[in-house]
Amino acid sequence: MITAMHVKKQFDKVLAVDDVTVTIKEQEVFGLIGTNGAGKSTFLRMVSGILKPDSGEILVDEQSVYENSKAKAEIFYISDEQYFLPNATPKDMARFYKDYYPKFDMARFDEMLARFQLKARRKVNTFSKGMKKQLSVLLGVCANTKYMLCDETFDGLDPVMRQAVKSIFAGELAERDFTPIIASHNLRELEDICDCVGILHQGGVLMQKDLEEMKLNIHNIQCVFQNPDDERAAFELLDIVKADRRGSLTTITARGAEEEIMLKLNSFTPVFAEILPLTLEEIFISETEVVGYDIKKLIF
Amino acid sequence: MISKNLFFKLIKQDFKKRIWCPILLFIVFFLFLEIPMMMHMESIAKYPKSYSYGINIYIRDYFFGVEASVMAAAVCGAAFLCALSGYAYMHARTQVDAYHSLPVSRTQLFWSKYLSGILQFLFPFLIHVIICAGIAADKNAFSVETVPFMVSYIELELIIFVLAYSVSVIAAGLTGNIIISILGTGTLFCYSTILSAFKLEMSSRFLKTYVIYGNRIDVSIIDEKIWSFSPLSMIIKLFSYPGRASAEVAEELFKYDDSYVGVLIAAAIVYTLAAYIVYLKRPSEAGGKTIAFQSLEPVIKTLIVIPAAFFGGMFFGDTTVESDRWFLFGLIFSFVLLCILLEIIFRLDFRGILMHKRQFLFNAACVMLIYMIFRNDVLGYDTYVPADDQLQSCAVSIEQLMPLSRDIYLENKGRMYIGSDEYRMVNMEIQGNPSVMELARKAAKEKLSYRSFEYYEGIEKSDLYIETREREKTYRQVSFGYKLLNGEKVYRRYVIDIADADTLRLLADIFDDYDYKLGSTPMFNSGWNVTFEAVQCTGNFKSGLIELTPEIQSKIIEAYQSEYTKLTLDTVINTIPSGTIEFLKSSDEQDGYVVYKSYDIYTGKMYVYPQFTKTLALLKEYGFDMEGKLTAEDVESISVTKHYDESQYADSGYSAYSALGVWVDNSKTDAVEYTDKKQIQQILDSIICDAFSWSISYYTDFFDSQYTIEINAEDSKDAIPFFHRFVNGKKPDFIQ
Repeated sequence: MITAMHVKKQFDKVLAVDDVTVTIKEQEVFGLIGTNGAGKSTFLRMVSGILKPDSGEILVDEQSVYENSKAKAEIFYISDEQYFLPNATPKDMARFYKDYYPKFDMARFDEMLARFQLKARRKVNTFSKGMKKQLSVLLGVCANTKYMLCDETFDGLDPVMRQAVKSIFAGELAERDFTPIIASHNLRELEDICDCVGILHQGGVLMQKDLEEMKLNIHNIQCVFQNPDDERAAFELLDIVKADRRGSLTTITARGAEEEIMLKLNSFTPVFAEILPLTLEEIFISETEVVGYDIKKLIF
Repeated sequence: MISKNLFFKLIKQDFKKRIWCPILLFIVFFLFLEIPMMMHMESIAKYPKSYSYGINIYIRDYFFGVEASVMAAAVCGAAFLCALSGYAYMHARTQVDAYHSLPVSRTQLFWSKYLSGILQFLFPFLIHVIICAGIAADKNAFSVETVPFMVSYIELELIIFVLAYSVSVIAAGLTGNIIISILGTGTLFCYSTILSAFKLEMSSRFLKTYVIYGNRIDVSIIDEKIWSFSPLSMIIKLFSYPGRASAEVAEELFKYDDSYVGVLIAAAIVYTLAAYIVYLKRPSEAGGKTIAFQSLEPVIKTLIVIPAAFFGGMFFGDTTVESDRWFLFGLIFSFVLLCILLEIIFRLDFRGILMHKRQFLFNAACVMLIYMIFRNDVLGYDTYVPADDQLQSCAVSIEQLMPLSRDIYLENKGRMYIGSDEYRMVNMEIQGNPSVMELARKAAKEKLSYRSFEYYEGIEKSDLYIETREREKTYRQVSFGYKLLNGEKVYRRYVIDIADADTLRLLADIFDDYDYKLGSTPMFNSGWNVTFEAVQCTGNFKSGLIELTPEIQSKIIEAYQSEYTKLTLDTVINTIPSGTIEFLKSSDEQDGYVVYKSYDIYTGKMYVYPQFTKTLALLKEYGFDMEGKLTAEDVESISVTKHYDESQYADSGYSAYSALGVWVDNSKTDAVEYTDKKQIQQILDSIICDAFSWSISYYTDFFDSQYTIEINAEDSKDAIPFFHRFVNGKKPDFIQ
């Protein structure tokens, strides 16, 4: 588990990370979302032991991470602009990381390189940006560390590759103790992969929520009632976040358990009532509006 | 898991990453080692007579000896290359992220890179040294005896490398981009040398009595009083010659200062630890910034701006006639310019050049304070004379009065110059002569100095100029070296006026002092054992060589020494010398395929006075009659040239030269040849040889410089010195 407690980091006069407290549980995909300059990279660099927090503490498996090789041995950090040795090939990079990560799986790396159609002997500096990102992910996965910190890693990948990487993550999560932390400024990128999401804004964490928990507690419902009185009475029983009417069809976003909401609606015998899937974006809009933010202005 | 295994893997990894570095060094070292060595060996083999040593001595004492100083320059360059290529990664965020996120401690990362850098130097260097040893062995110039010299050479270069390397690593750690790192390396590498030069230049400019003498110095830039903490100062000191040589020190002339190697090692360790600490403390986010530690910024600026502004002042002051005003202008101009430049460098932006007004004012105040301290001698440097109870002994050098010593010469090694002043400062110890301190106090109190004039057309006719130059004709310089009871040595150079009877009395007391004479030249140093080949004798009318044997040499020196120690200043001022002797060393010179014997003057002119009866008798015994005269019968003709330059104009010519850098030649001559035997005899009875008369002219007034006399005596069996002068007041009436 990674725990950040009241972490602050300032660069000259810029407060990059301001009193961030986050807990990242094991075996879940943690998404770190925020606009450019929100402090995502700085936070990840502190988690990976590159930067020393000005105050607060970051613990990885209950160990302070800065200048702690033992703690860092369980972390693989993929920077937004990953460094590759001059004139190195993927194979050279794998050897490089094998020196630092004894659990690095060379056989698997070769196999995955082939799967991703990356040539082992081609110089990395001839790779495209997306290919370099793929290579970084492969190196990170094959390093077999418990935590993998990805800074904007998915941003340069095409949809097919993104899907492939996601499937690798899913596989890793199923097979071993693996916790990816993915930073992105794009919420949609993380929608179908993250278990838990933290939103950073201006150096501070706006919120941190478990996606499943959120999804279970907020729903989109389309419904048609026989008369307006029934509808009004039904809606009064619900914790409605948003309501939208088009003709006789009303779409509402309401908090609460699915069964509980449907029970309340059905008690007024609607003509039609159906639960619709919510996008991550919609969930966050709803959640952040509650705490007083217009999330559209912050992220999208 | 961090292990020793990983540590070596890291070194290997870094070595592979920078493999271009040892390859480049391999090529560079080839140019610095094998090539000059083979060229030199070839030259020795081709022209053996041009060298006082053979190939084996060259390899041992030169190639693995003094020439280490040349290699040291290449080694320093290699050190900068290895350091900056190894640690420049700290300046790039992507690389910092990559390396510092790895599960390896900064300690291991630092030391692995550190060792890798050293190995990148050491591998090519060792290979080349071994190749050189092989080449030398092939020429039978490398033996078991040479091995310790080779090992010392490798050790020494390695120490120099580590020293320069660590400084460069510190610079890379303190800064955030490569250009600033290079500038930082340069600054750290030579900062104490810069401070020494700053103090030297400022003191020479503003302090009238300033003079420095060191222990192993032929480069006056190293001020012993300034802690030589920068590698450049240390390296210069290490390779500097023992300038104030005693016999013992002179033996070490062609060795490094072994005792100083220890200081170098200690400094290398300190700098290495400092580099390590800087590396550990350096924040990872400092890449791209000018300076990694913000708190150091004002300190660095102050340390750079102050001496640099003064150097700017000196530049303007030295390139103009109106020195003081332009110095001040240069100082202010350079200061402002540097402050702005540094702000731009630190901000990497033109905006905000006047951001730090308080710091600007602080630095300006420091600059003005230093200027005022030097300008007005606030610390009383020129008036300082130690109290009697602080003094252990004193050395005095009366400049231009019989400067006897010249060179140190070592068998098979060559020669080097030692000034008589610097020799005396180290070797003379006068005690219990009250006149010494009395003269020092008098000189310090009088604060006499030569006045410099700003040149303008017609200056030579101005009353002030004429009066000043007339007064300064009797000014002379005397250097004092005070050895204090606490071990400190303090040096001053005063201007005295020998027209002052009291001053002249004190000066005579010093000159007459036995210890003064004994410490005035290495010739009288009991440990000074040099074998000479000949003594060059010059009398008034003839000159010649006496071939020496050790016995003859010792007899002449002994006789001369006993008579010289009894010589008084009164005699020097009032007696025309009989001649001079100069001890010579010989060497075989080669010009192409022609080999000839060449004599080098070793001691300078040693004056022989008529009172030196024993010396004169010995010289006569060995074949040279110094007091021998020419008669009119021996001479065919005498040419007398009159120079119309009056001394006043000659002076103005000099001042015009010094002021404008242009020699003003206003000489005009008129020559008359005399063949009448009676006239010739009269001339011969009234002349003195110019060959030795001019060099004692500072304290004597024997001759009339307006005339030059040339004797034409082709049939003479002795060589006749070229020129003569009329003795003052003895010029025959027929000479116009």
